Amino acid sequence: MNVAETILVFAGAPLAIIAVMALLIFLPAARSKRPRYKPGQPWEHAPVWYEPHPDHAPAAGHGETLAIGSSVYGERHGDDAAGHGSTSHGATAIGGPAAPAPVPAGPLGGARGTW
Amino acid sequence: MTRALEVESHDTATSETGPSRSEEGGEQLFSFQELARLDEALTMSSRETGLRFTLYIGDLGKPTRSRAEELHAASGGKPTESVLIAISPGQRVVEVVTGAAAARRIPDRACALAVLSMTGSFANGDLVGGIVNGLRQLSDQAGHPSGLRRPY
Repeated sequence: MNVAETILVFAGAPLAIIAVMALLIFLPAARSKRPRYKPGQPWEHAPVWYEPHPDHAPAAGHGETLAIGSSVYGERHGDDAAGHGSTSHGATAIGGPAAPAPVPAGPLGGARGTW
Repeated sequence: MTRALEVESHDTATSETGPSRSEEGGEQLFSFQELARLDEALTMSSRETGLRFTLYIGDLGKPTRSRAEELHAASGGKPTESVLIAISPGQRVVEVVTGAAAARRIPDRACALAVLSMTGSFANGDLVGGIVNGLRQLSDQAGHPSGLRRPY
């Protein structure tokens, strides 16, 4: 085994393995451009409100949910919400942006936390 | 090269057509996997317990508790049986609001425990994991009422 072969086997092969590993580890993170939430950052997204699917609904879409912006696909506002509900779901009758009237719920419970 | 999944919308929209998923908002809040986890956690915990769990993520204003209680009153369904988890990541506050009937099944101490586990995850930057774990704790505490059990 001459010098070139020695270098190739004992330096080149480990370096190649390291390069492949690094590529596998760091490539997926570099490709996803979504900024991860870090505590202390300001929050610049619009408010979203997620609600559960109704119990016996056939494939609940995001046009006929009750709370504001309550689908998993985020919030629609004003005219957009009404227009979307009446055009793409022709048969469903929804009366504008469906914001249910506030109903008092008796003595409330709960908890609060900060981080 | 042909992509297996065509994400660009073709030019078939009219002025009436709503924006497609790939067009609205370049930057989404959560990925589809995370949304699916949230959706499943909310739906299953609501079905399991018969309570209505909703989740609000956004700014809560200055008195966060009163804003959260307003949101709870407007959350649809029966407010006495609904549970709102309101998270304001900008203010680093999480509020759990339970209606009167829900509060009898999920006492405030159980809510505080769920909030504690959520804030632990949030402090590590894991919003979705914290929410899913908090929902799991709340629904475990509420249990599965016998009225919801169906004979198979």
